[in-house]
Amino acid sequence: MAEVKVKAQPPDADPVEIENRIIELCHQFPHGITDQVIQNEMPHIEAQQRAMAINRLLSMGQLDLLRSNTGLLYRIKESQNTGKMKGSDNQEKLVYQIIEDAGNKGIWSRDIRYKSNLPLTEINKILKNLESKKLIKAVKSVAASKKKVYMLYNLQPDRSVTGGAWYSDQDFESEFVEVLNQQCFKFLQSKAETARESKQNPMIQRNSSFASSHEVWKYICELGISKVELSMEDIETILNTLIYDGKVEMTIIAAKEGTVGSVDGHMKLYRAVSPIIQPTGLVRAPCGLCPVFDDCHEGGEISPSNCVYMTEWLEF
Amino acid sequence: MTQAEIKLCSLLLQEHFGEIVDKIGTHLIRTGSQPLRAIVHGTGTSLDQVKKALCVLIQHNLVTYQIHKRGIVEYEAHCSRILRILRYPRYIYTAKTLYSDTGELIVEELLLNGKMTMSAVVKKVADRLTETMEDGKTMDYAEVSSTFCRLADTHFVQRCPLVPDPPESAEAQPPPPAPTLSINEKDMYLVPKLNLIGKGKRRRSSDDDAAGEPRPKRPKQTAESKEPMPDDGIYWQANLDRFHQHFRDQSIVNAVANRMDQTSSEIVRTMLRMSEITTSSGAPFTQPLSSNEIFRSLPVGYNISKQVLDQYLTLLADDPLEFVGKSGDSGGGMYVINLHKALASLAMATLESIVQERFGSRCARIFRLVLRKKHLEQKQVEDFAMIPAKEAKDMLYKLLSENLISLQVGCQ
Repeated sequence: MAEVKVKAQPPDADPVEIENRIIELCHQFPHGITDQVIQNEMPHIEAQQRAMAINRLLSMGQLDLLRSNTGLLYRIKESQNTGKMKGSDNQEKLVYQIIEDAGNKGIWSRDIRYKSNLPLTEINKILKNLESKKLIKAVKSVAASKKKVYMLYNLQPDRSVTGGAWYSDQDFESEFVEVLNQQCFKFLQSKAETARESKQNPMIQRNSSFASSHEVWKYICELGISKVELSMEDIETILNTLIYDGKVEMTIIAAKEGTVGSVDGHMKLYRAVSPIIQPTGLVRAPCGLCPVFDDCHEGGEISPSNCVYMTEWLEF
Repeated sequence: MTQAEIKLCSLLLQEHFGEIVDKIGTHLIRTGSQPLRAIVHGTGTSLDQVKKALCVLIQHNLVTYQIHKRGIVEYEAHCSRILRILRYPRYIYTAKTLYSDTGELIVEELLLNGKMTMSAVVKKVADRLTETMEDGKTMDYAEVSSTFCRLADTHFVQRCPLVPDPPESAEAQPPPPAPTLSINEKDMYLVPKLNLIGKGKRRRSSDDDAAGEPRPKRPKQTAESKEPMPDDGIYWQANLDRFHQHFRDQSIVNAVANRMDQTSSEIVRTMLRMSEITTSSGAPFTQPLSSNEIFRSLPVGYNISKQVLDQYLTLLADDPLEFVGKSGDSGGGMYVINLHKALASLAMATLESIVQERFGSRCARIFRLVLRKKHLEQKQVEDFAMIPAKEAKDMLYKLLSENLISLQVGCQ
């Protein structure tokens, strides 16, 4: 008996049609689809054909292959990228992918080599190529001045690379910081002066001598001495240096959410203060500032009895 | 004791008491406590002279003695006490600011003579004051006595320890080789009831008119001094710790005046004055004082209302300085002065001032930063202090070389 095996032969699906269907599915699920989903959608296609279609899409750069904890995911790639990558070969795409993943912190060329396992010469060629196509750019890192990190062309470099508002072209702007320092201090000082002169009852006097970090920030912004836009955190770092100079003290008060300048229910208040002691006795005598302090002893070449500084000082 | 300290003590002893006392004193500082014979051998001076020198040193509280087992008495010199001689002018000046010329002279006499009876002090001071006064005026003993009493009440002078009265039931024990001196705490500032009547005597100078007068006066004076004074045996000395406490209070008041305003510093001064006697010098906090008490004790002429005082006290208690703390709510609010915190802050400010004057304000910034944050990496120092990396490194190494900062290798 001859059994005619009638296999329900699915109609020979057009490979292009399969690909299009897969792409449609990917668009439906932008986070990615698993192989299972494709299988469910098109049960009549054999695994082999499916695999071929997926491979073609991947090689054309229209799909992304990702690994998730459930298995493999296929995700549609943005169309603009596919436009860009036309004419580039796989290696370049790989390198570009790695750089894109590094985000706005950028990635060092050696790290690119580790991740892609490509030889150095290849990497350098690819990087030059991508740079000329204006797809990536090199940014000098402020931490190590010889190190260059690569990132996508249109991304803003992260603060840790450029150093933030205080660095311009890898140089720490000391004068800028100094000027801001002095301006903030003058502002707080004048506020304390007016509070002191108002001669109101002590509570009001003290409260009005405080300025919140938001107030200082607004004052500095209005002064317009900064070409770079400064955030409130930047101003707070400047105010912290004033605290370390012993010129300003800070208190933190609980502020209601929504009050201007409050962060997480707290507000920082700053006040100009004067030091609690006069310069101490040791440094008012010449010995405290003497450069040859350690060599001075009675009977030696440098001794208190023949000290020039001492004689000068006593002749007031 | 460092070599420099020993040299300084030796110079001080020489200047104030002479060569022999200097030799004995320096020998004792160098060798620690020694019995009499050893001192005689060690310094090569005669027994008689050693005894006299020791008398002088003990009279001025610079040397103390102790009876060891087997009945040997050992003498020990106190280097720190000898160094206090440098501060005598400051103590005298403090007495002058608080109790005017009379107080100044009383303290001066006590410091120069070590220990004196009250009557002797009063007489001498009255004589000295009379000399400086205009012709015909004399200083009354009563005024000097009253100043003396005030000094004793505020603990600036104190009684010296005495030989205690032997207990009644004691058998005839052989007298110990050296008397053990002790004094009861409550007797220390008790002024004996003396009836000192008299006026200061002016010493006649040689070009004065009555040339023949001094002669009959002299035998009369010696006759006077033969009478035993009623307070014989009760000796007084200057209480140096009390002066140090006064200096501490002054620094705290000045610090408050610099940080806040004049009125706050006056309030703190009042609080400290009220706790002068009730708080021991090593205590971390003063006794709690109620706001009502403070209001009553404010100096006359300071007319601020009770409400304003309360506001000032609240401000003082809330200030980041933390010199004043609130310990309760009874009596309008109980407030204490946080002495240990105040002294720690003053010490830190002194250190910061030294670094600032000696190394510059940027080094001072780094120093204060490390003081507050305890441990920092080099990168963190640069970021917090906002100093360029090269300069920050330079300054850190300079502070390290002067041993103001120490390096600790962390585990990575």
